[in-house]
Amino acid sequence: AAMAKLILLWLKCVILYNAVGAVFEDQVGKFDWRQQYVGKVRFSHFDTHVQSSKKVLVATENNVFAALNTRTGELFWRHVDKSGPEGNIDALLHHGQDAILVVGNGRLLRSWDVNVGGLNWEIVLDSGSFQKACLVGQQGTVKNVAVLKKNIISLHYLSNGHQKWIENLPESETVDYQTVYSGGNGEVYALGIVPHSHVVIIAYSTDDGEIIKQISVEAPWLSNIVASCAVIGQGVLICVDSATPSLYMCDLHLDTHDLQMTQIPLQSLGLEVAPDFQPVLVSHQPNSAHQPLSEFFLQLGPDNFLLLQLNNGQIVTLRDFKPVRNLFSILPTSVNICQNVNVAWHPCQNILFPQTCYCKIFFINLFSAETGRRLLDTTLIFVMDPNGGKPEKIYIQPFLKKDDSVGYRAMVQTEDHTLTFIQQPGRVMWTREEALSDVVTMEMVDLPLTGTQAELEGEFGKKADGLMSMVFKRLSSQLILLQAWIAHLWKLFYDARKPRSQVKNEVTIENLSRDEFNLQKMMVMVTASGKLFGIDSKTGSILWRHYLEDVPSNAAFKLMVQRTTAHFPHPPQCTLLIKDQDTGLTTLHVFNPIFGKKSHVNPPALPQPILQSFLLPLMDQDYAKVLLLVDDQYKVSAFPSTKNVLQQLQEMASSIFFYLVDSSQGRLSGYRLRTDLSTEQIWEVVIPMEIQRIVSVKGKRPNEHVHSQGRVMGDRSVLYKYLNPNLLAVVTESTDTHQERSFVGIILIDGVTGRIIHEAVQRKARGPVHVVHSENWVVYEYWSTKSRRNEFSVIELYEGMELYNSTVFSSLDRPHAPQVLQQSYIFPSAISTMEATLTEKGITSRHLLIGLPSGGILSLPKMFLDPRRPEIVSEQSREENLIPYAPELMIRTEWFINYNQSISRVRGIHTSPSGLESTCLVVAYGLDIYQTRVYPSKQFDVLKDDYDYMLISSVLLALFFATMISKRLAEVKLLNRAWR
Amino acid sequence: MWHRERIPLLLAFVQSVLVVGWCFTEMEAGPGAAMSTQTNGDRFKIEGRAIVPGVKTQDWVSTARVLVDGEEHVGFLRTDGSFAVNDVPSGSYVVEVVTPTYRFDPVRVDITSKGKMRYARLVNYIKTSEVIRQPYPLQIRSSGPHSYFMKRETWGWTDFLMNPMVMMMVLPLLIIVLLPKVVNTNDPEMRKEMEQSMNMLNPNPELPDVSELMTKLFSGSKGSSKAGSSSKGTRPAAKRR
Repeated sequence: AAMAKLILLWLKCVILYNAVGAVFEDQVGKFDWRQQYVGKVRFSHFDTHVQSSKKVLVATENNVFAALNTRTGELFWRHVDKSGPEGNIDALLHHGQDAILVVGNGRLLRSWDVNVGGLNWEIVLDSGSFQKACLVGQQGTVKNVAVLKKNIISLHYLSNGHQKWIENLPESETVDYQTVYSGGNGEVYALGIVPHSHVVIIAYSTDDGEIIKQISVEAPWLSNIVASCAVIGQGVLICVDSATPSLYMCDLHLDTHDLQMTQIPLQSLGLEVAPDFQPVLVSHQPNSAHQPLSEFFLQLGPDNFLLLQLNNGQIVTLRDFKPVRNLFSILPTSVNICQNVNVAWHPCQNILFPQTCYCKIFFINLFSAETGRRLLDTTLIFVMDPNGGKPEKIYIQPFLKKDDSVGYRAMVQTEDHTLTFIQQPGRVMWTREEALSDVVTMEMVDLPLTGTQAELEGEFGKKADGLMSMVFKRLSSQLILLQAWIAHLWKLFYDARKPRSQVKNEVTIENLSRDEFNLQKMMVMVTASGKLFGIDSKTGSILWRHYLEDVPSNAAFKLMVQRTTAHFPHPPQCTLLIKDQDTGLTTLHVFNPIFGKKSHVNPPALPQPILQSFLLPLMDQDYAKVLLLVDDQYKVSAFPSTKNVLQQLQEMASSIFFYLVDSSQGRLSGYRLRTDLSTEQIWEVVIPMEIQRIVSVKGKRPNEHVHSQGRVMGDRSVLYKYLNPNLLAVVTESTDTHQERSFVGIILIDGVTGRIIHEAVQRKARGPVHVVHSENWVVYEYWSTKSRRNEFSVIELYEGMELYNSTVFSSLDRPHAPQVLQQSYIFPSAISTMEATLTEKGITSRHLLIGLPSGGILSLPKMFLDPRRPEIVSEQSREENLIPYAPELMIRTEWFINYNQSISRVRGIHTSPSGLESTCLVVAYGLDIYQTRVYPSKQFDVLKDDYDYMLISSVLLALFFATMISKRLAEVKLLNRAWR
Repeated sequence: MWHRERIPLLLAFVQSVLVVGWCFTEMEAGPGAAMSTQTNGDRFKIEGRAIVPGVKTQDWVSTARVLVDGEEHVGFLRTDGSFAVNDVPSGSYVVEVVTPTYRFDPVRVDITSKGKMRYARLVNYIKTSEVIRQPYPLQIRSSGPHSYFMKRETWGWTDFLMNPMVMMMVLPLLIIVLLPKVVNTNDPEMRKEMEQSMNMLNPNPELPDVSELMTKLFSGSKGSSKAGSSSKGTRPAAKRR
């Protein structure tokens, strides 16, 4: 019998394991999508070594190195390094098939194969802060790469990364070596400076690292080589000084020890520097095996560029680029010099281009570097997105057309991190919204009803005014419905006649409407750059974008839905709170989440730093939820603050409580609102800062529903859940990080009374701690330093066998402390983020969605994290369907809701209920964005998508015919028998 | 109510077991673990090679990464499948090759403070003391592609026919229809023979009938299978909680 029981148990386990999660192969891409991003581009090179190459290499501020397809903007491959300064990309050099990266402040040197996307080699460099790297060529071929650090210079082979030589830089304590230069003649120059004194020039031999010469040049006016100097022509160092103002030149190749910088006053060239402007020099070296061009740019003002040429020691002005008519904005970016068009077979076609701006339209033109003349038919028009930022950088891909004239494509990077790829004469080939690589917070908003549905709704929403007008309204709305129906029929008929490929179902803002089960929603995403996006959750297409200018770089965002789409004719309303984390000063941006437009409602000006903000369930007469803001004087202001709202607030004040967290002081405090909108402190919990610090405070989600109040036990009694909506889970970590003494603490506090419900400590554990707090349970994950593994712990709270007050929960009137159950498990992977599924009514069982560093999103049934899992199986626990306790939780790839669509650096998972109880909408964001649906208890309320209509109808038909035939046969038989 | 008292006890038991387990590991990984707290110790390199049998490396290396302790340290694969994670301080790490298509088992690598005594072993989170040594540098062989998808239940004629219910219905039908045609029951000799054989089968009426025994046995097993099916049946109810 014991054996049989075991087998049964095993069977049940198998059933359970199979029942949950999992995607069917034919569902791929049906309701899920992924978008991959790279982040804000820092360096970019077009792959030019093969004429037909379609690659552009990008290295970004998110420590990503990728190759994009220039035709479509999609990724060929992408390599995501460690985030933070250790994976920071310092430099990108590109030569032929190889791309050389300097990573982690000069710690690593990597070479990538551009075609395959695989690593050629990686070496560790000597320590020292990185300054500059350059390719070193000799006799026309590039074979080495030179890396300059604060005190050393080293040369490496391009083929295998091995170090050719390494030399200490002389007097590196006093001299600040800033740049390295090679003109392809067997020498490598390290340029250093003692600010406001002199420039040090050291030439090394490429072969063995021997110092060929070492010169110092007086330059008391110079403070920074990188900012105000450039090497041009045959190795001439040219610098600009804004004080005098003049250009200084010296030839690096001259072998004299009393080298002087020759001064050329700008006035002698007839030039003038704009006031308060630091002039900038830009030179270009198309091939590292050759010398740089002798033409260079000088920027004298924000909108004034000059093309100059060094000709036999004389500086000649080739062209003065000054926008003639700049109506709105001024020339925004520095001017780049683009590459030679493939030197090998078309020499000396040097091309430059500046941009000119007329209001929001930019023109890009090509100019010949040698003459300064504009090339014919090379104008490219770039129309700025009115909801985007200003252009910041431009990358040009020149190519030769069939008739040997020069064509080019441009990749424009704007302030809002968008990349736009444009073809002549101004056709946008693709855009990449790289701001979406850094989503901070998001909400999912229901789509509005269609116009006609809304019209009907509006009939009931408005105030009634007389019988006749009501009748007219009803008639007119019925007429509109009829009209819409006829239009729909006509469209169906029309579409049916057209070939299928022509029928497009493009989603635009105009034809957005809620679907039957409310599965399609508007994803409002807030990014760190300050750009807001509205994305259709079904297709992933961006429906609106809005760039908020002057968002501080260290801003914290909080997005709140004040009014949903349910209150027609009032438009839905979202409020974004933007808080400068240094000053605490806050601004509000109020907008319509469906169209992205700024609302007419004027948000209040907030002169004081804001400590806390929260939405109340109260609504004003226009159905907008009231947002309360607490400033540092503990004064409360409401938005909207109409008379109606203030009156409601006064009535409700005694039952409005809130809490503040001061993690720097380790203080949690609770406040109550007074009728005059001042506050009074009612409780305070101080967590001693010397021992532990508050890491996070988690409440429950306000839109969460719990369907059942208790759990049915094996003996048919009910264990009631402790469902305190005001419960806060406070996570603390020890300040002592020694692995023997570190600990993780969790405190459950009632947010209204300040009563500590439960306290748990995990010894020999450290963070990062991930917490999910929902219903009557808290799940948290930490690193156990003792066993060197990740562990999950679950706390569940129960009231017991009887409910104290079943109708309403009040924190002030709950005399009994809840029963606390806790259990811990081993988890075989680190985790990035964690969230619980959420459904409309809370009937469906819950799953935990766990983002893993490998890129998978694991859907782990909450059933496995149940502190009532028994060690010894009994009849009752089996009756209750409890899984026997096993210390290790499993990761099964079938539970990955995103199958092979891995998501890099998952930072957050947003869950949102849909109109179907079985279905939860999930958006995971990080470097990538992934949207899907999950069915924690399978699709119990709709027919499965593999439902076999054919089988059921054929069986029915067969039965029908069988009855018909047998009836007929029976009749015949009866008749025959009667005749007999 | 007993749950409340029992579970902490059980937990304490589990913990004590783990403590014992730890004591064993302490000796083995002791120096490494002690060194991991040292902040500016030397940095070492974890080397190895990942192999997917029967697949060209170019086809998968561009999507692969080597993760050491989550994303603590990241390494990339060379075009020949080998990898080196640089800049790793001494300590004990779980090294994992991650690709969306192929499955690799994680390996634990310990680096001593001198960086010399490195050994690799299979990851065992429960018994951290258990050591199954692996060769170093690591040779991580893929155990096949990931299986992300569930199989759809397909409908076929063979499934339908081999269903026990259908078999149970079809076989008696055949017997009823075919048997009278094969055996001529009207023949009196035949009838006699049949009666005789029936008597042979049941010589002693006192003995319990075989069929009765069978039905008893089946009803017993039916009871247990009922329990199984009832547990299945309560599952939707459990969900509705």
